[in-house]
Amino acid sequence: MSDQTHVPAGHDLAPGEEEQHSVGARILGYVVGLALALLLTATSFFIAGTDLVWQPSIPVALIVLAIAQMGVHLVFFLHITTGPDNTNNVLALAFGLLVVFLVVGGTVWIMAHLNQNMPPMDQIMPMRK
Amino acid sequence: MPAGRTVEATMLGKLDWSAIPFDQPIPLIAGAVVLVAILGVLIWVVVKGHLPYLWHEWITSVDHKRIGVMYILLASVMLLRGGSDAIMMRIQQAVAYQSQGYLPPEHYNQIFSAHGTIMIFFVAMPFVIGLMNLVVPLQLGVRDVAFPTLNSVGFWLTATGALLVNLSLVIGEFARTGWLAFPPLSGLSYSPGVGVDYYAWSLQISGVGTLVAGINLVTTVLKLRTRGMNYLRMPMFCWTTLASNLLIVAAFPILTATLAMLLLDRYLGFHFFTNEAGGNVMMFMNLIWAWGHPEVYILVLPAFGIFSEVVSTFSGKALFGYRSMVLATMAICVISFMVWLHHFFTMGAGPDVNAIFGIASMIIAVPTGVKIYNWLFTMYGGRIRFATPMLWAVGFMVTFIIGGLTGVLVAVPPADFMLHNSMFLVAHFHNVIIGGVLFGAFAGFEYWFPKAFGFRLDERWGKLAFWFTFLGFYVTFMPLYVAGMLGMTRRLQHYDVAAWRPWMLVAAAGMAVLTIGVICQIMQLVVSIRNREALRDRTGDPWDGRSLEWATSSPPPVFNFAFSPDVRGEDAYWDMKTHARQQSLEHEVPEYHDIEMPRNSPTGFVCAFFATIMGFALIWHIWWMVILGGIGAFATFVVFAWRDHDEYVIPAEEVARIDRINLEERRSLVSMAGAL
Repeated sequence: MSDQTHVPAGHDLAPGEEEQHSVGARILGYVVGLALALLLTATSFFIAGTDLVWQPSIPVALIVLAIAQMGVHLVFFLHITTGPDNTNNVLALAFGLLVVFLVVGGTVWIMAHLNQNMPPMDQIMPMRK
Repeated sequence: MPAGRTVEATMLGKLDWSAIPFDQPIPLIAGAVVLVAILGVLIWVVVKGHLPYLWHEWITSVDHKRIGVMYILLASVMLLRGGSDAIMMRIQQAVAYQSQGYLPPEHYNQIFSAHGTIMIFFVAMPFVIGLMNLVVPLQLGVRDVAFPTLNSVGFWLTATGALLVNLSLVIGEFARTGWLAFPPLSGLSYSPGVGVDYYAWSLQISGVGTLVAGINLVTTVLKLRTRGMNYLRMPMFCWTTLASNLLIVAAFPILTATLAMLLLDRYLGFHFFTNEAGGNVMMFMNLIWAWGHPEVYILVLPAFGIFSEVVSTFSGKALFGYRSMVLATMAICVISFMVWLHHFFTMGAGPDVNAIFGIASMIIAVPTGVKIYNWLFTMYGGRIRFATPMLWAVGFMVTFIIGGLTGVLVAVPPADFMLHNSMFLVAHFHNVIIGGVLFGAFAGFEYWFPKAFGFRLDERWGKLAFWFTFLGFYVTFMPLYVAGMLGMTRRLQHYDVAAWRPWMLVAAAGMAVLTIGVICQIMQLVVSIRNREALRDRTGDPWDGRSLEWATSSPPPVFNFAFSPDVRGEDAYWDMKTHARQQSLEHEVPEYHDIEMPRNSPTGFVCAFFATIMGFALIWHIWWMVILGGIGAFATFVVFAWRDHDEYVIPAEEVARIDRINLEERRSLVSMAGAL
């Protein structure tokens, strides 16, 4: 379908489609992305095993690093930016985040209630002692 | 284990002669009849020399209109299969009072599971996806969907799923677990047979097809619109298509992941949903309904779009409250992800959770109510023509309101504790799915049939089909409400309560009326094909339509539009017609250009062929065949990715020749209207 004359060339870029940058700038972008991704990964592995920080903060730190990792992938590899041609991509991402938030958040809430009200038989017994 | 059996187990997995149900006459005879019919059609096609035509024009076609028609054909055939299941169930419940009836329990359980699975996944889904495929690119004024070959892959994978479900009729068995296969019943310890595997693998494969179709249609609506087609000028059906496919993209991965976990439990000894070793069956209900509730809106939103088009066209008025309609559609799109717990109020989540989800379920009725009022106000003051599509639309409004009201009733948690899993619930969801989705699919079928095939459907048989289906629906399902109130639970193979008996007999009689409706529907098709010359739609605009699909000929040329239409407002084609009538009728002779169109590709069919092999092998644990099918499907993809030519050119003269024929017809129509 190359006959979409009504789509102006150079606009409406899909995620992953290259914008009109020079090769050098593009490579630089990917290198920065790779470096950040590696850094975040290394930090996660380091944090998981360290005793330099307060222990209960480790899971929180891992979650933060994981979200940062997602952000790096979206910006540097999938090219989701806040540029004018990216409205669809940003909206799609926002919708996706909303759905993930609703489903994951709702599931955690529901399952917590269910687990409290409806524990398996073998767990009811110890509770009664 | 003897050595011979080991070799057989390697070659054939769990498959042996005991898989064929020689002792059960009903599936065997049904299977034989279907097999003979398929063979007969195949032989007829080959002998008549239609095979090259079918292969080049349909099977390998990437034309969105052809794929849409094939989707609808698949849905219609599967509707007959699912309908036969329904007839068998109604007869069983009519006769099984203080007796075993004629269906043994294990067979009855397979029938109600297959009925639900088929009706949702292989009737309702392909029907609405088919209509969206057929119509949306035309309404947007573009030449094809965003990814034409992917579209073909999506269709054929859906067909694979349908094939596997029907294969279970003769080779092995189908799930006996209900249409959502709740564990622990669907786990390996309680369902050791291949039934649940048939269920899960066919849904996994067709689920990929559905997801692909969803991505394709979202991209089409967002990225391919003709000049001037702003979001707020799109016909309502395009909006509901967008919302519905956003839901597909967001929700179907949940189904895939949930079924994948169930399959891991069954195949590799995982414990996601088992009773022991830390498994949690409640998580399955939670996840499957997090997909399942958006799914009902995936089905009904396109139907809402169809009714919007139909009501507006046959009232001769623009849709009332277009913007509120858009808002309501998108509100439903989001809220549909906030209500899934109402399917398992009784599982024990407690008052906080139940209250919040109950209220959310009542709130989602508000945008739906907005839509109903908008349709009523569209009709108000309009010059209404009661053609067949309009009858379905009015029938829908009456029926859907009743279904919606009973829905709000069961959204109240204390009421739901009384009605959960009763026949009242069965009546409720049939009320909204038949009254909403199926009526919508039929309305769309009648409305767009002339566009797809170039001739109208016979009105007399169409109206008969409507009245029998409409009345048959009420006679069948209203008694089920009563039976539910009397305490009858769903999925009963037999019962001993005298008070339920009369209602089951009435429901069975209603089923007979519904069957007459289906026969009328088939007769309508036969009669219309016979009289197609008299019913020919020469202008491409048989209903005095308002949106762009009526601006091209019927059936549209492969490139849809000789020129990309220029849209200046809502109801694009209505504006063009008004404009043309007001001005002098002489058009300047347009200058035609070459048009590039995507080439046909067997990728979809070949991919689905290997997916069928792989699915069958996975169900029967034939591991070498799994590997073979997987490699085949992947190789097909690689070959497609490395293709050199993916487009062909239609020369300008050819475009001009095709376009002029339609232009002449259309001018005569406009001049006739002008003379009046």
